[in-house]
Amino acid sequence: MLSRVAENLYWVGRYLERAENTARLINSTTQVLLDLPVNASFGWDVLIKVAGLDAEFGERYPQADEDSIIRFLIVDEDNPGSIISSIHNARENTRTVREVLPMELWERVNSLYLYIRENGARALIGRGPRDDVLRAVIGQRESIVGLLTGSMSRDVAYQFIKLGRNMERADMTTRIVDVNSAVHLPADTALAALTSERAWISTLNALSAYQMYRNHVGVHVRSHDVAEFLLKDPHFPRTVKHCLAEIEGCLSTLPEHVDAMKQVRKAWRRLDGMNLEGLTSPVLHEYLDQVQADIGAIHAVVARQYFHLHQRHNGSGEDQ
Amino acid sequence: MNARTTQSIELIDYPQPGIYDELLGDDLRPRPAARTLFDYVNRLGAEELVARREAVDAAIMAMGITFTVYSEAGNIDRAWPFDIIPRTMSKREWDRIDAGLKQRLTALNLFIDDLYNAQHIVRDGIFPAEVLAGSKNFRECCRGMTPRFGVWAHVCGTDLVRDGDGTVYVLEDNLRVPSGVSYMLENRQLMKRLFPELFKSSDILPVDDYPIQLYDTLAALSPRQDDRPVVVVLTPGIYNSAYFEHSYLAQKMGAILVEGSDLVVNGDDCVYMKTISGLRRVDVVYRRIDDDFLDPEAFRPDSMLGVPGLMRAWKAGKVGIANAPGAGVADDKVVYTFVPQIIKYYLDQDPIIPNVPSWLCMDATQRDHVLANLDKLVVKPANESGGYGMLIGPRASEEERRKFADLIRANPRNYMAQPTLAISTAPTMVGDQLAPRHLDLRPFVLQSNRLYATTGGLTRVALRQGSLVVNSSQGGGSKDTWIVDTGEE
Repeated sequence: MLSRVAENLYWVGRYLERAENTARLINSTTQVLLDLPVNASFGWDVLIKVAGLDAEFGERYPQADEDSIIRFLIVDEDNPGSIISSIHNARENTRTVREVLPMELWERVNSLYLYIRENGARALIGRGPRDDVLRAVIGQRESIVGLLTGSMSRDVAYQFIKLGRNMERADMTTRIVDVNSAVHLPADTALAALTSERAWISTLNALSAYQMYRNHVGVHVRSHDVAEFLLKDPHFPRTVKHCLAEIEGCLSTLPEHVDAMKQVRKAWRRLDGMNLEGLTSPVLHEYLDQVQADIGAIHAVVARQYFHLHQRHNGSGEDQ
Repeated sequence: MNARTTQSIELIDYPQPGIYDELLGDDLRPRPAARTLFDYVNRLGAEELVARREAVDAAIMAMGITFTVYSEAGNIDRAWPFDIIPRTMSKREWDRIDAGLKQRLTALNLFIDDLYNAQHIVRDGIFPAEVLAGSKNFRECCRGMTPRFGVWAHVCGTDLVRDGDGTVYVLEDNLRVPSGVSYMLENRQLMKRLFPELFKSSDILPVDDYPIQLYDTLAALSPRQDDRPVVVVLTPGIYNSAYFEHSYLAQKMGAILVEGSDLVVNGDDCVYMKTISGLRRVDVVYRRIDDDFLDPEAFRPDSMLGVPGLMRAWKAGKVGIANAPGAGVADDKVVYTFVPQIIKYYLDQDPIIPNVPSWLCMDATQRDHVLANLDKLVVKPANESGGYGMLIGPRASEEERRKFADLIRANPRNYMAQPTLAISTAPTMVGDQLAPRHLDLRPFVLQSNRLYATTGGLTRVALRQGSLVVNSSQGGGSKDTWIVDTGEE
């Protein structure tokens, strides 16, 4: 497979996953906010921070209020991380690799793009319409994954899309979990426990994970149990551990994978070594940063190994 | 006759005196090759036909058959305009055209090979040295090359038109990067999807072996004949109007679609593509990029689309390129006027399909005739394609004709003129009726160690009433083309 094609496929996977998870991130934050008691404090700017976009945002928006942040994250075409930009980028990448994909894929990605272009503005009206639009984005994106799962050969092209998807997913899961570290709990212990529980339920809901958590962990929602589940559960498909296993599976089918596999195992060992019992918000935040750095390191090796030739000859230099 | 609940379909704007209709005779009865079709269409009735047309439009969107239109607002994929009434031709007539197309390409390839080598045809006084000297597409750097089988133009799109008296003429030979064959294939797919009954009951010859024929034609150019050759389709990228076709053909041939930046020529003069497991050798490049942009080392240094060193690799015999660089020398409207002599010279045969009678502006007598009759003639520049830069005399204003006369006087080598033909029509759906629309036919001819012509080709139709312009970039559409075996000898 051509390096350029492999790279485009990888980014199709990443961008689509990013769009979906940004929608989930916004929904989760909205939920957390609705459930907070009046005397618990919470800032919308946490969204920008966990998405790693504070610099871009600060340059163009004077105030970190809900309206600005929502606009920035959903419909701002100048924000490379917005939902509309992610879908647009996924569409442009899909366009150049149509011949290795199921025919319907282009149509689905195209219609997702047309949807957000036409309906993005509705998400700015209020929380109700916003929820509708974001749910639709998540739903359409899920149907795209379904299409790939159901009608694409498990060839190299498939592996690169899946690789991109799981890289992005692992990264975004840590960011969605990280929203919780921004919740400042009230002084009252009983109220604090209740608030914390509600916030973590919102996180589980944002990742469509609540029912599976109940089935496999239990009915009580405690911070370290949820963090343990979302980071280390091997069976739920949005956990970091599950994503790492998927990444390893993809790499094992690709040529010359020794270095990349080593990097995955390094991330894996570090994840296993994290002690989440009785952890505090700042420690959790630090842990999550570490996981993100490990995923970044896997990306760097993958890019060097498989996209390298393409990038070197185009003079575009360093990995992203 | 059966009792009918439906209304048979109505013809409007017929008859058209002096114009040949492909499907209907002068008495407006269907020609033999169109009889089954007309019976069927009339049985369906207008209402059902309109319903099927709507279904076909939806299918085109769903199948994503598009071409790209450049605009300020960004490049958009536009749905391929398609008319559901096919153009028919009898197998007997087609067999003669098929022979004529192969004859023509064989002669043109001998001609190109001669021009880049001994130039016998110039020395023998058949082809004027000054025409060669003025040729924009003659590539000096190709002198002395003889590609495999002596063939330079491996893929040729030959445009045919029919005049009022029924004669079929060659209008032009497209030897650079002819496009449209994917639409020919997709048109047939659409028709089979929409009218499966018809293909059961009538003797319509198939067209779908083209991708295999193209693959075999290209594979034969591989310098490494022992292995399964690596064939790539070189595209300028997604913003090219024919990108859909590049991707389509790569897919159908099982070839790899590459852009210039995917290829590299190493010190061993071999061409490699950059893959996830390193560099992999490429044997044949089916390039869909003009010579000018092919190799910045040899041609335009500012080209971002090409592959530096590709010409070097080709000249060293390490890669096959189709069409060969420099093949465009015979794709020139002035060179065109010499094709009948070219066929005679190399093959000692008379052309099976005639040229449209033409006047060469470089000849003083002929030029005077052209200048005196600008209101009756079509004047074409030597090296434009897609219908650009030409004058349609009868439709031009006094002012436009005066400007064109100045252009001709300033650079006579660059112009030739032809009479305005009464180009044939075929019934085309307009609302729920059938009206005559002008059309042409572009068959695709392949040559390497074999010769092949598509069965029929791409019929392009001017969808606007009275228009003669069939190019998709200028509002034309297309029809499926049926070569029908009517059992005539």
